[in-house]
This record gives sequence, C-alpha cells and structure tokens, in this order.
Amino acid sequence: MSEVLNITSLSVEFNINGEYYHAVNDVSFHINAGETLGLVGESGCGKSVTSLALVRLLAKSAKISGKALYNGRNLLDLSLEEMHQIRGKQIGMIFQEPMTSLNPVYKIGSQISETLRLHNKISNDEAKRQSLEMLRKVGIARPEEIMEEYPHQLSGGMRQRVMIAIAMINNPQLLIADEPTTALDVTIQAQILDLMRNLSRDFKTSLLLITHDLGVVAEMCDRVAVMYAGQIVEQGLVDDIFFNTNHPYTQGLLNAIPKIDVQNKDRLQPIVGNVPSLTRMPKGCRFATRCPHAMDRCKMESPPLMEIRENHQSRCWLNDAKVV
Amino acid sequence: MIKYIIRRILESIPTVIGVTIISFVLIHIVPGNPVRIMLGNHYTPLRAAELTKTLGLNKPVWEQYFIWLGNLLQGNFGFSYTYEKPVASLMLQALPHTIIIVVVAVLLAHVFAVFLGSVQAYFENSKFDQIATVINYFFYSMPSFWLAVLLVIFFSIDLPWLPSGGIVNTQLSNPGFGDWAKHLILPIATLFLVSVAGWARYMRSSMREALLQDYVRTARMKGSREFRVIFIHALRNSILPLITLFGLSLPALLSGALFVEEVFNYPGMGLLYWDAVNARDYPIIMGVTVFVGLVTVIGNLIADILYGLVDPRIQY
Ligand SMILES: Nc1ncnc2c1ncn2[C@@H]1O[C@H](COP(=O)(O)OP(=O)(O)O)[C@@H](O)[C@H]1O
Ligand SMILES: [Mg+2]
Repeated sequence: MSEVLNITSLSVEFNINGEYYHAVNDVSFHINAGETLGLVGESGCGKSVTSLALVRLLAKSAKISGKALYNGRNLLDLSLEEMHQIRGKQIGMIFQEPMTSLNPVYKIGSQISETLRLHNKISNDEAKRQSLEMLRKVGIARPEEIMEEYPHQLSGGMRQRVMIAIAMINNPQLLIADEPTTALDVTIQAQILDLMRNLSRDFKTSLLLITHDLGVVAEMCDRVAVMYAGQIVEQGLVDDIFFNTNHPYTQGLLNAIPKIDVQNKDRLQPIVGNVPSLTRMPKGCRFATRCPHAMDRCKMESPPLMEIRENHQSRCWLNDAKVV
Repeated sequence: MIKYIIRRILESIPTVIGVTIISFVLIHIVPGNPVRIMLGNHYTPLRAAELTKTLGLNKPVWEQYFIWLGNLLQGNFGFSYTYEKPVASLMLQALPHTIIIVVVAVLLAHVFAVFLGSVQAYFENSKFDQIATVINYFFYSMPSFWLAVLLVIFFSIDLPWLPSGGIVNTQLSNPGFGDWAKHLILPIATLFLVSVAGWARYMRSSMREALLQDYVRTARMKGSREFRVIFIHALRNSILPLITLFGLSLPALLSGALFVEEVFNYPGMGLLYWDAVNARDYPIIMGVTVFVGLVTVIGNLIADILYGLVDPRIQY
C-alpha cells in the first residue's frame, strides 16, 4: 500500500514574548492511500497547528521543522507557487467553523466554481455545471437555488456541506478535516460524517480526520494517533486503541465518552486538570500531572514513543517497567 | 428599495429644516450688518433705514425665516444683496467648479487609500508600513488651509510650476484646457492629501481584520494566490466600513473645500459662501446651507445604497 502522506519529526514553534515555544513537538505519522487516520486529543493539544503546518497556512512567524512528504515530495520545501497548485487541487481541507469559513459577500456558486477555475482551464458554463453536480453529491436539495444564494442564507450544516463540496470538487487525494462536525448539532453531525465517509470512499480519498471525539473516531477511522500537549502519545489501529488501550491519556479520553448502556452516571469520568500551556511544559512526561499512574520517574524523564506491539506505539514509562 | 429611498428622504426633511433654522438664527446673532457693509462710504442713517426696509430686514427674525422658507418651497432661493443676482444662478455658476475638484479628489483619494491601506495591512509593521503610517499621520493632522498654503509656497513660489489661484491665466491670450487643468492641480492635491490620510488608516485596520478571518484561510486553502486573497476575497469585505465613512465624511470634505477654495481664490461654492459670510449676504449663506444639507443627506443615502450592493446581508 502506498503512502499518501508521511510526516517525520514535525515540530512547530511559536514566538511568544520573544521566546520560541513548541506547539508541536517531533510528531510523526503516515496515511496510506484510501485510509482514514484519526488525530485525536483535547482542545489545545496542537492538532490544528499540525494540520495547518502541513499545508503551510500558519503565519510566517511560526518556525516549522521536520518533513511532510506528500507522494514523496516534501511540502515544507516546495515553492509558494507549487503550494498554490497543491492546495485545493491535491489536498482539500475543511475547517471547524462552518459559519465563518465561507466568504459572506460572494454567492455559493461562485465560491465553489472558483476552486475549479483556479486549477482547471474550463469555461464558465462548465464550471457551473460541475459545481451544481458537486452540490448534489454533498446532498444539497435545490442546488440550482443554493448556487445563487449567499452564505448567511444557509444553516451551519448546509454551509459545512458547501465547504465539503469546495474541498472535494477537484477530487483531491488527501482531505484534511479539522473538527468538521464540532460546531454542528448532533443529528447534523452524523449526516456530515456519513457524507464524508461515502465521498472519501467513492473518490478514493485519504482522510486526515481531526477530532476530540473518540466516538467519531470509532465510526470513521482505520488508524488513530492520539496527541497530547504537542506530542503523539499513542498510535495504532482503531481496534487496538479501543480494546488494547495502553496510554493513560487515551484511557482517560475513553472514560470520558458518554455510554448509553451505563446506568451509573458516576462512571463518566472526565480527565481532571488542563492541557499544559506552551510556555509551561512539564520537564518529564507531559501528562504526569494529570495521570492516575504517575511515578517519580514520570516527573523527571520524558518517555519516548515505544513500540508495544506490531503497529502500536505508546509514550508511557509503564511499558518500560513491564519490559524490564 | 424605491420605498426605502423615499422613506429616507422624507425622514431627512425635518433635519434639513432644523439646520436651516439654526443657521438662520446664527447669522442674525453674529455681529455685522449687511446694510452697513453694502452702503460702505455712502452710509447715512436714512439710506440705511430705507435699504433695511427694502430687504425686509426690519421684520422680526422668525417672520423673515418663514418668508424665506416660503420662497424656498416655491423654488426661489432669493436674491443676493451684493451681486444683485438670483442666488440660484450664482450657485449654479459656482457648482461645476466645486464638483470637479471634490469629485476628482474623492475618487482618487478612495482608490489610492484602499490600495495603500491594503498593502500596509498585508505588510503590517514592515518598514513600508511604518513609513506610510508616519506620512499618513502628518497629513491627517494637518488642517486643509494650512496644507494649501504650504503647497502654494512650495509649488507656486519656490518652484514656480503651478498657478497659485484662480482658474484661468489672464495673461494668456488664449488660455485652453491645459491652463485650466493646471489651476485644478493644487486644489485637488490639497483635498486629496487630507482625505487619503484618514481613509488609508481606516482601510489598513479594516483590511488587517479581514485578513485574519476564516474565509481568507479558506481562500488560501483553495489555492488562491496572495493577490487574489487580498484584492478579491478580503477587499470586498474590508471596504464596507469605508463606504459608511464616506457618507459621514461628506460635510467635513465640503468644509475642507471651503478653505481650499478661499486659499486658492477658486470660484466655487466655497468661495461664494466665504465671500457671502464676509458681506453678510444672508440669501447666499442660506442657499449654500440648504445645498450642503441636501448633499449630506443624498451622500449618506448613496453610501447606504452602495453598502447594500456590496454586502448581500443587508436588505432594504
Ligand atoms: N499563532 C499562534 N501563536 C502562539 N500560540 C499558538 C498559535 N496558534 C496556536 N497556538 C497554541 O498552540 C497550541 C495548540 O493549538 P491548536 O493546534 O489550535 O490546538 P487543537 O488541538 O485544539 O487544534 C495551543 O496552546 C495554542 O494556544
Ligand atoms: Mg483545533
């Protein structure tokens, strides 16, 4: 199976009051053709920064290092012109904020066909025809009318469908979806996830799905990378993550999912405490302050990402103790 | 839409009438007597009393006001004391001169300010931005008459390139278009410079904000190049506040034109007004006041309509 995306040692630093701090620290993962990888973690863990760094949409002041190979080409080394040709054509992206991600002063139709016309030499009529077809594919009723409407006339769910149409219309090989359903109602969430699953299957698109919701991961993903405070802390097949959970942070996220069959509400346990801020990263394991199993060693030494079984890695000293 | 325009015009009638009342009362309170100024050396108490009666100035102020308003409603602006001509024809003579400098200056200033502010915002805090900001503040804080005087000193006296006033060189036997255009340069430049500075500052902050919006990130994600991101995606959103500002800044612009016309002895509405004030020529003062009130109302209306055209979220 060929790799569409291969990230190696990606780090991102921001300048805060004159000093550089890591928001993303030595992150590595890959996505195979046609595969869906879930990037999971609480808010503030560096998921969005990771995805924006890949497509070079962070402010110029951000310091990025490492490699991000897209079909073998390092995105971080490409010229701006080469990036313009990749964005929107080979890599599509959907954001968390459907209400503000469309331009308020242009019609839906022109915002979709713009993406086509930026990358293909086609006539106005042809662009319009293809945009209409794409609106139908993303499940929008009355597409002819919607083409002539403005974003403020559409609901959040509809706008996210339009964003998906924009991201998918050039049939990209990779779709990055950054919390695509977080801002939507629960019923709409399920519809949008269904739509993304079906489209990425039909278009044979690889998907990097960013979310803080392990429920979404269970439904959508083949593999999962769990991120905490700028690092990957556990990575593996979706079944291993759910049924052979290794890292206490992943376990914490799992405990926090509401389960319908649980009568006793006390079983729903959110992780106590907060993600540490960039400027105050603990010296040892970054999760130690919130971890129920933390040992002295965890507070002193930062654990490496260890291979605990085939295709399953975890960054926890508990595994080291077992080995020794 | 038509209904909206009619409603707005009807709503503005009380405001305009209010302005005329205030102006009328003010010019009568201000010391100085038109009769005295008109008679000059020929002043005798008898002649003054006669002239005062002829002009109707012996009646109470409120009665004078209603006579004036009644005439105005019949389309009669009255008769100038000093020129002894109808006020309407004097204003019609002056109007084209003012329109040409104000419209040209406003259009150039807007185009330039939008461009300058956008580029400043995009290269925020660069050397270019910093220098442009300093220059902006320099012109922004400068009164228009003072700038006009400086331009005259520099371009008409030190480097005698451009005429210092008027609209025609009387020493030329056949002054043509070129001569006329030369006389327009300094008045237009003055109005342009004082307007650009303020608008560019607004545009910079408005564009700065627009560039941080999510839809700009979407535009980049589609593969738009930076020129397109700024001038197609962010621009149309960031000129919205400027459109409102345009409507609000019309009165300031017209008072700027007043001083500029005075300095350049340029025969437009501003100079007409200025001379009328000095001569206490009440009919002209009131005529120009009504005109400025109407222009302000219409300017704001045009700004509102433009806003609606640019922003689809606005419904009338
Ligand atoms: N431009 C920036 N400058 C400084 N810090 C930033 C910037 N962008 C993001 N951060 C910080 O980086 C961390 C990761 O943010 P983000 O990737 O948005 O988290 P999330 O996992 O919720 O998507 C956060 O602590 C955030 O405050
Ligand atoms: Mg995020």
